[in-house]
Amino acid sequence: MVDQNAHPPSVGTSFQRVDLRDKVLGIAKYTADLSLPDMLHARVLRSPHPHANILSIDVQPALNMVGVHDILTPFNVGEGKVAPDVPILDTKVRFVGDEIAVVAAVNVYEADAAIDLIKVSYEVLPFSTNMDTSMKKGNPKIHTQGNVVNGGPIVEARGNVEEGFDQADYIVEDSFTTPGHHPASLEPRAALASWDGTRLTMWKPSRGIHADKAILASALDVNPNNITVIGPVMGGGYGSKDETRTSVLAALLSMRTGRPVKLELSREEEFLAGRRRHSTFTKIKMGVKKDGTVTAVHAKTVMDTGAYLSSGPGVVRRAGQGALYLYRCPNVKYEGQIVYTNTPTAGSYRALGAPQGHFALESLSDQVADKLSIDPLKFRLMNHVGPEGQPGERTTPKNQIIDTQPVEGGIPFSSNELRQCLILGADAIGWERRDQIQTPTGFIKRGIGMSMFIYRGGPGGQSKAKMSLDEDGFFTLNVGFMDVGEGSSTVVLQMAADTLGVLPQIVRLNSGNTDNTPQSPMTAGSTLTFSAGQAAVRAANQLAQIVIEAASEVIGLTDTEGLYITPEGVCSARGDEVNFTDLAKKSGLLKTTVSVTPGSRDYIVNSFGAHFAEIEVDIETGYVKVIKYVAAHDSGTIINPRMAESQVRGGISQMMGFTFLEDMEIDDLSGVTLNASFLEHKSPTIMEYPEIEVIFADSIDPVGPFGAKSLGETPCIAPAPTIANALYHATGVRLNHLPFTPDNVLTALRKLR
Amino acid sequence: MENNVTQVAFKINGKEHTLDIDNRFTLLDILRDKLNLTGAKKGCDLGECGACTVTLDGKAVNSCQILAVKIASSEIKTIEGLNQGNILHPLQISFIENDGGQCGYCTPGFIMGAYPLFESRRNVSVEEIRLALAGNLCRCNAYGAIIDSVVGAIGIKADG
Amino acid sequence: MKTFTFYKPTELEGASKLLSGVGRGYLLAGGTDLMTEMKQGVIEPELLISASDIKDMSGIVWNDSGITIGSMVTLDEIASDTNIESRIKSLAEAAISIATPQIRNIATLGGNLCQRPRCWYYRNVRFNCLKKGGDKCFAIGGSNKYNAILGGGDSCYIVHPSDSATVLVALKAKVDIFRNFQRVTMPIRDFFIGPEVDVTRENILEPGDILISVQIPKESMGGKNVFLKAKERQSMDFAIASIAAMAKMENGLITEVGIAAGGVAPTPWHLTSTERKLIGYCVDDINVQAISAEAFADAKILGQNGYKLQLAQTYLERALNLVLR
Repeated sequence: MVDQNAHPPSVGTSFQRVDLRDKVLGIAKYTADLSLPDMLHARVLRSPHPHANILSIDVQPALNMVGVHDILTPFNVGEGKVAPDVPILDTKVRFVGDEIAVVAAVNVYEADAAIDLIKVSYEVLPFSTNMDTSMKKGNPKIHTQGNVVNGGPIVEARGNVEEGFDQADYIVEDSFTTPGHHPASLEPRAALASWDGTRLTMWKPSRGIHADKAILASALDVNPNNITVIGPVMGGGYGSKDETRTSVLAALLSMRTGRPVKLELSREEEFLAGRRRHSTFTKIKMGVKKDGTVTAVHAKTVMDTGAYLSSGPGVVRRAGQGALYLYRCPNVKYEGQIVYTNTPTAGSYRALGAPQGHFALESLSDQVADKLSIDPLKFRLMNHVGPEGQPGERTTPKNQIIDTQPVEGGIPFSSNELRQCLILGADAIGWERRDQIQTPTGFIKRGIGMSMFIYRGGPGGQSKAKMSLDEDGFFTLNVGFMDVGEGSSTVVLQMAADTLGVLPQIVRLNSGNTDNTPQSPMTAGSTLTFSAGQAAVRAANQLAQIVIEAASEVIGLTDTEGLYITPEGVCSARGDEVNFTDLAKKSGLLKTTVSVTPGSRDYIVNSFGAHFAEIEVDIETGYVKVIKYVAAHDSGTIINPRMAESQVRGGISQMMGFTFLEDMEIDDLSGVTLNASFLEHKSPTIMEYPEIEVIFADSIDPVGPFGAKSLGETPCIAPAPTIANALYHATGVRLNHLPFTPDNVLTALRKLR
Repeated sequence: MENNVTQVAFKINGKEHTLDIDNRFTLLDILRDKLNLTGAKKGCDLGECGACTVTLDGKAVNSCQILAVKIASSEIKTIEGLNQGNILHPLQISFIENDGGQCGYCTPGFIMGAYPLFESRRNVSVEEIRLALAGNLCRCNAYGAIIDSVVGAIGIKADG
Repeated sequence: MKTFTFYKPTELEGASKLLSGVGRGYLLAGGTDLMTEMKQGVIEPELLISASDIKDMSGIVWNDSGITIGSMVTLDEIASDTNIESRIKSLAEAAISIATPQIRNIATLGGNLCQRPRCWYYRNVRFNCLKKGGDKCFAIGGSNKYNAILGGGDSCYIVHPSDSATVLVALKAKVDIFRNFQRVTMPIRDFFIGPEVDVTRENILEPGDILISVQIPKESMGGKNVFLKAKERQSMDFAIASIAAMAKMENGLITEVGIAAGGVAPTPWHLTSTERKLIGYCVDDINVQAISAEAFADAKILGQNGYKLQLAQTYLERALNLVLR
């Protein structure tokens, strides 16, 4: 019923990002750009202590100020919670920067002056700025359940790892650390709250407005039907926005004052009170036979979640995915532990624990190849997990959807073009010239390194979509998800348009308001394109049927045979036509709602890739230059090539920060974060941007919408180990501790001198 | 305290304004809070990200670093002053064509950062574009597409 | 930010009186450092005195004795001046390496020389360090990766943040100061002071003093001069170590030399003993590597900043090779 010859499909073409025009005109509205009449401004009093009990707070001098309307403290916000371990405000503070009180005043200057007048008395407690200190017996508990979350690590295993090591001819073991860097989204988080009687409207940057609505309802003890969450354009989040206290505090102030309240965090506050990446310490061990077969992999990761748990459980699990699943191996074990410290909270940041886990795994893999005197590429070609999956027995019941991050063996992948990525990428970087580029003399050394990765491929939570043909002849696709800047709106729109058989220009995407969009999970874990895409495709299919039936009635036919959709309307084989506008006018609103639980009962849906880098290092200054970078990705069908390339280039460049520049510097004696600024938490500038070649493998996934799998986070996984391996090739020195700043490189290189 | 408030007169996007403002107000505060020109963003308020870039007498500056009391007779141009209604500036056209923005928060700053280069040159090297935009952070790291966008814009200009 | 009264004097005298008068007064040049300190609460000016309209502080003037650069000349003006580029290259190199284009368009030479340190203990109001009148230096035993390896003297371990200062010391520049209603000129190396003299400031300016201009003598021009700056990232970054070097030769003999290191000490570090090993010697007799290895013999590593010694030595070697060969 769709005439494919009428026009070329949009999927696979670089359709322009739908919201880009507003952005280049400067009229796209982000949360802080919004204003309401009679609006008050809020500012937060933050803890100067890393760990303390609040004994009393005297806000009277601040309340006496003419411009101050209200102040929230732990003593007047009730018992609500923003997260299981995060009360709205607490009488205990757990890091320097933790929220204590919030002032609403007529302007920011008044609010700041009021903050200075608030008197707090503390019982200062001993504190910990690192995991070792937190884990020592007798150390004060940051939360009542103890400093090791759940009392110990999660343990995931397949086969018997002790037996696996017994079978090995060689065992290689090493340990690695990664920094707790910050996403440093350019837009600091903010919230604007306004009540109309008992009805709350909340504007906030969000990757899940329905999830945010549920949090607000629970924290404020308000019926969710009385809450509207609107997600304006978001200025970057990379997973980390926003499950903090910000919106709940704004909502409470607004409720109590009867006026709209805007809370905008400063840049420093975004660093302190946002969410950063979990820093990790990983010990990893691999056993191999002389012929290069992997017999066992055992990884143990301890990660620092800071003062609150946030999405720690998901992150710690993700950190083990590589060790458990990237190399074909019957005996694997992963132990992942989360530890509280009195430092800024860690949460979700693009690719979650996978960069940390893969830094250890892929660095070790090169060491194993070295031990075997096998070329690192060849070692991976020999041992990467193939389309048939891991050896072992399936344990998930046959009728159950398979986890995208399984541990069990015996299940094939829906698609796996990792081998193609390895071969194409190696060819593009010129892997065969690797040994010729090394420079034995002089202070400039060159090297080429590589690594590969595995990541969950897309199926997420249940996803709903509504689609309709409106009176103006345009189609509207209603989805509850948020475009977080990665372009999901555009991509899902292309899929819906193609399914329907119309041009994407006549499909509108409506998202961002909980009142008129269906329930949807967060834009998270690279599930968006897959889940929302599947929902949109199903909605479009159903609507197409409804549209054809309505056209049949309008034309006066008895059945729908011979009718097909064109970019303008519906046509019949014998020449009848009705355009969409007329059809809508005559039939009334045509619409459908679908709900999709994405995933497969037969296959694991995962994305794969391999990265390669040629670098140059000045061994006297520690400065590393990336000469060329190649990224080969298997993400199934690429819906929008240009946007997909933007995601890959952007992710790699972003992780040049993780690899070379970024860390959160916490003063051990005071718990103060010393570098909570763009100047000192050094994110890559345009000057750091390397030449990146992007290759997409020829791959169509049978499960994904239009054959697509996840892409958004995957570029972030491989850069760090790729560079580490290139550095080893160039200098003969292993760098196991990120970031590779000049001083860290020089320190490591002193082994050579 | 009257001597903490000053009357300032200035020209933004060709239009004259006179305002009484708190001495602490920066040019960025005036744009966003008084004139509802929210294209310039408060990414850090310390001059460390370039999201608030506008041009002052033709030169790219961080508007958060300019005290409003100092502006006086300067000519200020913001992103909102680039297009004429639906007629987009070549920089804006090229940023759209080359996917030069993802979340878009840095985009007005980058376009205004590139504007002086665009105005003064017939052709530029990639290196010169990098140097001109070295004060603008893009956390989505769309730097490659941004460079392509500026190259493309100057190409549009060359074509007339 | 606390509020302040704003003045726009047109004469040095009026500005000076306001600065030394009632209330905490600060001179506002480009404002790129001052406003950061104000927004972060490190300083709370009651008066801001704008230097933009003061006569005698702008302009680049070439004359028989060399060049005079007004302290209100912007870094961009210096970086794009073709005469400075051809005759005092290291100054142009320093100017363009500073900060970002947006900042260079309004930041001034005077502001760059007088800017306050970037030590993160100094800049954070939560630490009452020695420089702010407190009783301890938190860098000692703390996070001291960016702190000094020279000149700290058991006291304060900031590094001087100004790249133009490093170059001007190597170029044997002089500064003109308005003090007690008179112009005073002094060698720039005497302008900067270390913590042993006064830990609360980095230069000799007293309340009421104004830095008017900088002079570079023509004797420092005509040879080779370079500025090499090590940074962690290639833009928007202060020097983790830097070297400014100038040398003139006649018939293979070194007749003039000036060398300073930045990013390693509380003042631009004038390498006078290294200069003595070069001046009057034949270029071919110079062992650059040996001299560079000895140049920082007094360095005291704090724990996390040892790499600065390696960088300073390496960059000194490279700079000397550039100006002597």
